[in-house]
Amino acid sequence: MSHDTHHHQKESFITKYIFSQDHKMIARQYLLTAIFMGAIGIALSALFRLKLGWPDDKFPILESILGSDAAPDGLLDSNWYLGLVTLHGTIMVFFVLTGGLSGTFSNLLIPLQIGARDMASGLMNMISYWLFFLSSVLMAASLFIETGPAMAGWTVYPPLSVLAEFQPGSGLGMTLWLLSMTVFIASSLLGGINYIVTILNLRTKGMTMTRLPLTIWAFFITAILGVLSFPVLLSAAVLLLMDRGFGTSFYMSDIVTSSGALDATGGSPILYEHLFWFLGHPEVYIILLPALGMTSEIISTCSRKPIFGYRAMIGSMLAIGFLSFIVWGHHMFLTGMNPFLGGVFTFTTLLIAIPSAVKAFNFITTIWKGNVMMTPAMLFCIGAVSAFISGGVTGIILADSALDISQHDTYFVVGHFHIVMGMTAILGMFAGIYHYFPKLYGKVMNMRMGMAHFWITIVCGYGVFLPMHFLGEGGLPRRYYENTNFPMFDHFLDLNVLISIFASVGVLAQIIFFFNFFYSIFRGPKASQNPWNANSSRMDNSSRACSW
Amino acid sequence: MEIKFIIIITVALFFIALVQLMKIYDLAAKVRGEKSQEKVSRSENMLMANLMLVFMAAFFGFIIWLIAKYGSNSGLYQAASAHGKDIDELLMINWYIILPVFFITNSLLFGFSWKYYYREERKALYYPHNNKLEAVWTIVPAIALAFIVIYGLMTWNKIMYNQEKGEIVEVYAYQFGWIVRYSGIDNTLGKADYKMVSSTNPLGVITQKTIKETYIEIDQRVNDIDSILSSNINVEGKYLIPEAKLFKLREEYDKLKRRKYRIEASIDRKVNNLSVYESSNDDIIVQEIHLVKDQPYTFKFRSKDVIHCPWFPHFRAQINAVPGMETSFALTPTITTKEMRANPDVQKHWENINVIHNERKRRIGEEEERVLFDYVLMCNKICGAGHSNMQLKVIVETQNEFNQWIENNGDNKRLTFSGQEVNWSKTKAQASL
Repeated sequence: MSHDTHHHQKESFITKYIFSQDHKMIARQYLLTAIFMGAIGIALSALFRLKLGWPDDKFPILESILGSDAAPDGLLDSNWYLGLVTLHGTIMVFFVLTGGLSGTFSNLLIPLQIGARDMASGLMNMISYWLFFLSSVLMAASLFIETGPAMAGWTVYPPLSVLAEFQPGSGLGMTLWLLSMTVFIASSLLGGINYIVTILNLRTKGMTMTRLPLTIWAFFITAILGVLSFPVLLSAAVLLLMDRGFGTSFYMSDIVTSSGALDATGGSPILYEHLFWFLGHPEVYIILLPALGMTSEIISTCSRKPIFGYRAMIGSMLAIGFLSFIVWGHHMFLTGMNPFLGGVFTFTTLLIAIPSAVKAFNFITTIWKGNVMMTPAMLFCIGAVSAFISGGVTGIILADSALDISQHDTYFVVGHFHIVMGMTAILGMFAGIYHYFPKLYGKVMNMRMGMAHFWITIVCGYGVFLPMHFLGEGGLPRRYYENTNFPMFDHFLDLNVLISIFASVGVLAQIIFFFNFFYSIFRGPKASQNPWNANSSRMDNSSRACSW
Repeated sequence: MEIKFIIIITVALFFIALVQLMKIYDLAAKVRGEKSQEKVSRSENMLMANLMLVFMAAFFGFIIWLIAKYGSNSGLYQAASAHGKDIDELLMINWYIILPVFFITNSLLFGFSWKYYYREERKALYYPHNNKLEAVWTIVPAIALAFIVIYGLMTWNKIMYNQEKGEIVEVYAYQFGWIVRYSGIDNTLGKADYKMVSSTNPLGVITQKTIKETYIEIDQRVNDIDSILSSNINVEGKYLIPEAKLFKLREEYDKLKRRKYRIEASIDRKVNNLSVYESSNDDIIVQEIHLVKDQPYTFKFRSKDVIHCPWFPHFRAQINAVPGMETSFALTPTITTKEMRANPDVQKHWENINVIHNERKRRIGEEEERVLFDYVLMCNKICGAGHSNMQLKVIVETQNEFNQWIENNGDNKRLTFSGQEVNWSKTKAQASL
């Protein structure tokens, strides 16, 4: 490490490792925070899967982890169940796959791949990370309060999320959730503006927009989506805070609680849904595009071929980015919206399938007649493309407003978005970590462990989410604390056990990754100059991207 | 405590052992002269490539097993409503388009990964783009999607626009249950307002009687609070009640006053024509939904507190119930509960469910029971702790059975708001003659 740093000014421990303005250090900080949050997020899912798989059994482990309020005698409380579901969703969507994925790889790769010394504003970059850190702390802290974390689902629809009378998590837990998200949005905006400015202005000589690596295009479009849509979520969150604290009624009307009719009148919860999903849908692509961008690069490098249809890839990303802004209504087909509007959103939503199909076929053609090096990163990329296809096709069903009448909010939806958004993005993120680890830490991760990690992860991922489609076809609604109240769902008991077993194994398998990751940082073998024999701009600089 | 300590120690030792093992592994690799971790060896490449095929086979096998076991036997059977058949048909057509795409693209992906794994002597084909090929896989999906969009929208429009006005039934959602109100002979629901909701008037129906009752209820509570306040005051004019409680009482006092004022201003004084109240005279409130086969219904949904989503899985019908607005969904049940129970597929399935159900009952030490198929209404939008148990039985039957139910159900007399005893089924029968 010493020879990397000796040729530039001396930095103190604090400026180098904590309040660093160096994009590579910030990338590492983002990654570590995201891994920490990811560990919490997936652990929560394993905990509530215990309840779903074995609804009658007592798990003392739940009581020892969550405390006796949340799981008295090892039986998960129904409010806390919703709390775990909510935080699992929030953490995975925002903290791991938005903050973690974009934050890490945009920061690491944008300057390296466009040939810039650093991001346009190191200071903004630093503030962006520390706001992300603060919001992570706030969100994680909400798990430790007596009344529990936010419990209204990751979408926190009002009025459920407004009054603590409706559920305990809508008290302090929801306040923390909203504060955390507000800080998170500020972080995301600072980061996003920085990425856009850097890509537009700091490209090296000859690096025209049509020569940019697809990773950079993906980060660029992602940043634009974020900058345009996150402010809308911010307004939704602020209005919600006001409804909760200052007696306004943006989202409330005609509500009766146990103490009688509320004064609130004239608002509508549907307004919140519109504001939320105006971010919520582009958010899907904020998560997906960076993963697909890195997948493009890694597949091309490891197949020893240029990516097939470079311009078509850019075009399809632009199309996806644009369309993602006019499809949010497909989350709300059943809110009582005008059927004509439902038809419009069906049409725009199904259009997204076209650029998505182009991307999938281009990935496959890149592998065709290639010379595929099966590095762990490449394995994860193949997995990501497979998940993108498998989850994408069921999206066609959910996009159809008529079919949504019988699929909406069932486990079919859970299966669909976990495969297309969760699995694709997380597999893409793992691919990025394995592939760019030499640039992050100057070391190489253990390959055989990476391979084992991949196979267990993809088997368990599909093992968990494929059966969920069938639960949904059987009409099982999501976010049910127990499915045993309805005898008609009893024939799914064994399928739920199967899902829970896959989930537990899948979660435990991530220990392989955590171990490999931290072991390799400290004791992994040193990486060579260009470990994966890449021949585009990112890998030519000496390993462990040095400071300028 | 000791056990936890031992567990922590064990886990820590396990990781230390793992680190040591890794060190040995790294050293051994160095001794063998492997340039480990960067270059995938030929045998590993081949192994991974073969695993791709194995995985693909397992993956497809798993899906086919799931389809065989649950695909045609999802537990919802054929749609039991007129529009539900259209939805099922559309879904089937979508599956016929989607599944081949899914199998073909996934097999191409895994197949190519297997076939073209890295061998030093091979050279990858330089193939950066092919406009014709790209045009093909832009246009072909576009055509398929055009078909899906058109067919889908036709179905959607058919369901949502052809909502002929059937018999109106209101479903009122609250944490955590449902209240059902039939609109009676005039097929018009009596007006309701959330400000009128009380323990005796759960739906907030507006009649002169309920308005009076609400005033009395509010005045009583106001007097109660007054008397609490005046009896807990000492000579110096200070209250003896704790500050927080005092605050709460005053808040409630103000709220009640406001509520009364709002009822007076927005409900009571607005109504000049008393006939407005009459439509509620024949409404009845029940705890079960009974529907007549082949009779079109228009369900109206309101919510008391948070967003709920009434979901009739067997009728393929759902729409949100949102506080502050009324939503509606029309459906025509086409199969009676009895007919459904007599269906051999359903019978076989419920035999199986009974076995599983009672196996569980035995395991948890509850009494065994025989469960039968029933249509249900459940909640499909997260609404709090009791979300997973908002169930209401729905019974589809013939007109005669329905009339019998109405007549035998004393509730209809007790719960009409008119105060008169209207025998609903008789008047209805007369009306239809």
